[in-house]
Amino acid sequence: MSAPKTIPKDAQVMIQILKDMGITEYEPRVINQMLEFTYRYVTTIIEDAKIYATHAKKSSVDADDIKLAIQCRMDQSFTSPPPRDFLLEVARQKNQTPLPLIKPYTGPRLPPDRYCLTAPNYRLKSIQKKMSSSAGRISVPRLSVGAVSSRPTTPTLGTPSVQSVTSKVGAPVSLTGQRFTVQIPPPSQTATTKTTTPSTPAVSNVLINPSLIGSKNILITTNMVSQNAGGEPLKRKHEDDDDYDAL
Amino acid sequence: MAAVQGGVVDGKEEVSIKAEPQSDGTGTGDAADGTPPSASPGSGAAAGGGKAAAGAPEDQQTLLAVLQFLSRNKLSESAEILRREAGLPEDALEPKGTETSGSGPGGAGDVDGGDPASLLSRVTVCPAAAPALAKAGDDQPDVSVVLSAYSQQGDPALYQVYYRDLKKFIEMVLDCHRAELSQVFYPLFVHMYLELVYNNHENEAKAFFEKFSGDQECYYEDDLRVLSGLTKKEHMRGNETLLDFRTSKFVLRISRDSYQLLKRHLQERQNNQIWSIIQEHLYIDIFDGMPRSKSQIDAMSGSLAGEAKREANKAKVYYGLLKEPEIELPLDDEDEEAENEEGKPKKKKPKKDSMGSKSKKQDPNAPSQNRIPLPELKDSDKLDKIMYMKEATKRIRLGADNLPSICFYSFLNAYQGLTAVDFTDDSSLIAGGFADSTVRVWSVTPKKLRKVKSAADLNLIDKESDDVLERIMDEKTASESKILCGHSGPVYGISFSPDRNYLLSSAEDGTVRLWSLQTFTCLVAYKGHNYPVWDTQFSPFGYYFVSGGHDRVARLWATDHYQPLRMFAGHLADVTCTCFHPNSNYVVTGSSDRTIRLWDVLTGNCVRIFTGHKGPIHALAFSPNGKFLASGATDGRVLLWDIGHGLMVGELKGHTDTVYSLRFSRDGEILASGSMDNTVRLWDAMKAFDDLETDDFTAATGHIHLQDNSQELLLGTYMTKSTPVIHLHFTRRNLLLAAGAYNP
Repeated sequence: MSAPKTIPKDAQVMIQILKDMGITEYEPRVINQMLEFTYRYVTTIIEDAKIYATHAKKSSVDADDIKLAIQCRMDQSFTSPPPRDFLLEVARQKNQTPLPLIKPYTGPRLPPDRYCLTAPNYRLKSIQKKMSSSAGRISVPRLSVGAVSSRPTTPTLGTPSVQSVTSKVGAPVSLTGQRFTVQIPPPSQTATTKTTTPSTPAVSNVLINPSLIGSKNILITTNMVSQNAGGEPLKRKHEDDDDYDAL
Repeated sequence: MAAVQGGVVDGKEEVSIKAEPQSDGTGTGDAADGTPPSASPGSGAAAGGGKAAAGAPEDQQTLLAVLQFLSRNKLSESAEILRREAGLPEDALEPKGTETSGSGPGGAGDVDGGDPASLLSRVTVCPAAAPALAKAGDDQPDVSVVLSAYSQQGDPALYQVYYRDLKKFIEMVLDCHRAELSQVFYPLFVHMYLELVYNNHENEAKAFFEKFSGDQECYYEDDLRVLSGLTKKEHMRGNETLLDFRTSKFVLRISRDSYQLLKRHLQERQNNQIWSIIQEHLYIDIFDGMPRSKSQIDAMSGSLAGEAKREANKAKVYYGLLKEPEIELPLDDEDEEAENEEGKPKKKKPKKDSMGSKSKKQDPNAPSQNRIPLPELKDSDKLDKIMYMKEATKRIRLGADNLPSICFYSFLNAYQGLTAVDFTDDSSLIAGGFADSTVRVWSVTPKKLRKVKSAADLNLIDKESDDVLERIMDEKTASESKILCGHSGPVYGISFSPDRNYLLSSAEDGTVRLWSLQTFTCLVAYKGHNYPVWDTQFSPFGYYFVSGGHDRVARLWATDHYQPLRMFAGHLADVTCTCFHPNSNYVVTGSSDRTIRLWDVLTGNCVRIFTGHKGPIHALAFSPNGKFLASGATDGRVLLWDIGHGLMVGELKGHTDTVYSLRFSRDGEILASGSMDNTVRLWDAMKAFDDLETDDFTAATGHIHLQDNSQELLLGTYMTKSTPVIHLHFTRRNLLLAAGAYNP
């Protein structure tokens, strides 16, 4: 400590504490950190004690309030591990059960799905169905992830008829099986080879922002015509359907 | 001696024991394991001594108090007996009753008859030495008034006198006995200090501490510093380690002659307060034979619980290796001598796995194959083994004259955040755990890391093609390194699975996470420790893993169970380091209480306790043949242990700072150690273990006579550029890899 620089008293006390506890090497900011912690802790305790004192209808905070405040805080924030006897007892019980046998050929050995983190943790909002005035279906391109899509059924390639695939709208899709269903209206009827006879004109070209399409697989179904099944929500297509197509 | 731990309140038992005359100090109470307690014959002495000091009217009061307590807890039989015998002068009953019941911290779980609430409330009650006779039953309303009288009994001011007297006595004893008896100082000092603190004699405690703390051994300095900050009873509340220390017995090993000396001295004095304290808190393991020298004692002492009792290290340990499965090696160009059990009459004989199948009969020291269930060998495992065998043939034989080359991987720009490192067995991947709670995996080989394709893409590939394992990988995700985010605290332990499919990481948030190395996502978070988990390790065969943390237990898990299979409880302080034995039947844990414990996976019992380190243990390594264990701690020493006999067989001095990593070479000839002092040292393991074969182990007494041959065993010291060495790994060809973060 150079002479002109004066360190506040609190910091001097903290330095002394660190020295007493045998800590000789520390970054200078440690003192600030410790002081912050001290200040915050003491303030919390005193505030809690004030609450207890007012609850007990006392005019001023006294030692009992402080003791109670400290005790409550200790149980809350500064918990300590369970005592030894408890651990020994629990260990004794747990160690009595024999080791479970290992079933062979079971693939990756993971706990039941409930305890794993492999389920998807999100669900997309379903897009509102758009009723179009024109005769044919207007299919606006939309991006739906996984199963959720509430579009009118559009027959996909390979299946000439309207296909209602059973599924649950909004059912969670496994994360690993994530895929996008992008329905792109074929531009100017020059769809791919396996198109069925389009009876209604598709909507005009729509640009799909490639950034919306992730690096995941894109299941692209061309917007085929002949949706006679009006109004039924688009059902999920199973992944193992052969009705995908790449544009 | 009072059975402090796990006291079952069995009035009958107590009474029958109390009637016995005071026996030797060889306690029968098994404090360390907390098993349902055996009798406590010696407390008769404690009470007897106390009795001498107690006045008559107080006796009556105590008697009544105890009667009250016994009847309250429905111990009618013992109450009867007490009433009957109440007239006896040698009435050692009443302190016993309350003492053992009050001192049964472990009894909480076992007690049926006792009032659990009241017992639990006394869990941390000081079991009282005679002078304090502080059956601090403060929580018991009726008896407390009476019993609190006892706390004044042994005048706290006299503690200094007692201690000083003992000190004088020991200093005047013959040289050969002095070293042994000096062992008593430290535990006695700490226990007396804690008694004073616990009974709220703050000033006396402070004075006592100031006067005598300087006399203790230098290696107890850290403990004493912690104690110096502890002056009130409330300070002790959250400190589980200290509470455990108070309630468990410090083990001392003293020769019979020295013990007789001590006993005679303490019993002949009119104030045998110290004698009762000793009986209360110390477990003296007597052996017949020569007293040990100072150096011998120093080598073994240092732990928080004293040394290990002889019985603790007597269980049979199957330290042999499991037999290797026989795998046919594909034909090679190399012509090697290989076992060929059934000679095939072909020109090119298929090579058999020659690793373990040399002897058809079972190694008597090896566990049976199905002692614990182990996962079966999959095809990929077999392929891996074949690779291993091939690499093994190209392995360099190391020795004192043929040192390994060392390749150091420095983590740059880690800003002191690198907290854990691991290599895969075939040295193709490195994983680093960081203080910012991320785990990063790098590929060491030119082959990049790829994720598996998503399910839809996987549909497209031709499953029958030969290179299907390549095709399932998504080229678009290829990168040198991958970041795994998920923990919410610094990652302290990392372990690759032997089949390179999984990575485990343990963090300060109390969870152990299993990551898939195919998809680089987190699969499971194992919650069990609610406190920082300092280390985790996969078993050498996969499927099982062990983790150890701040809650002082190590847990054994299997990847497909969300709760632990085994809990290894017994350490007094945090478990800082965990390691599996090569045969996967045993787990070794090193702890902040400076002991190393070997646990049996099958039963969960502690089969070996090794003491001798003077600081928390941070590195553990088994020799490849499974017989020996090397351990490194913050005191900079590397200690070598013989597991079968349970003895220390070597001490390697040389490092000047914490030893953070240890590794034996693939054939066990060289031991490499890496430390915070920025060096890697190589030691001659062959030589260190060689001498033992001919040594006559004094296994009965557990005496060790360590040669001071660290200098001869040191083969080389390699300095890094201000980079502490955190991890060491021998490749399959015996090249040494080391890792650390550059710390300018």
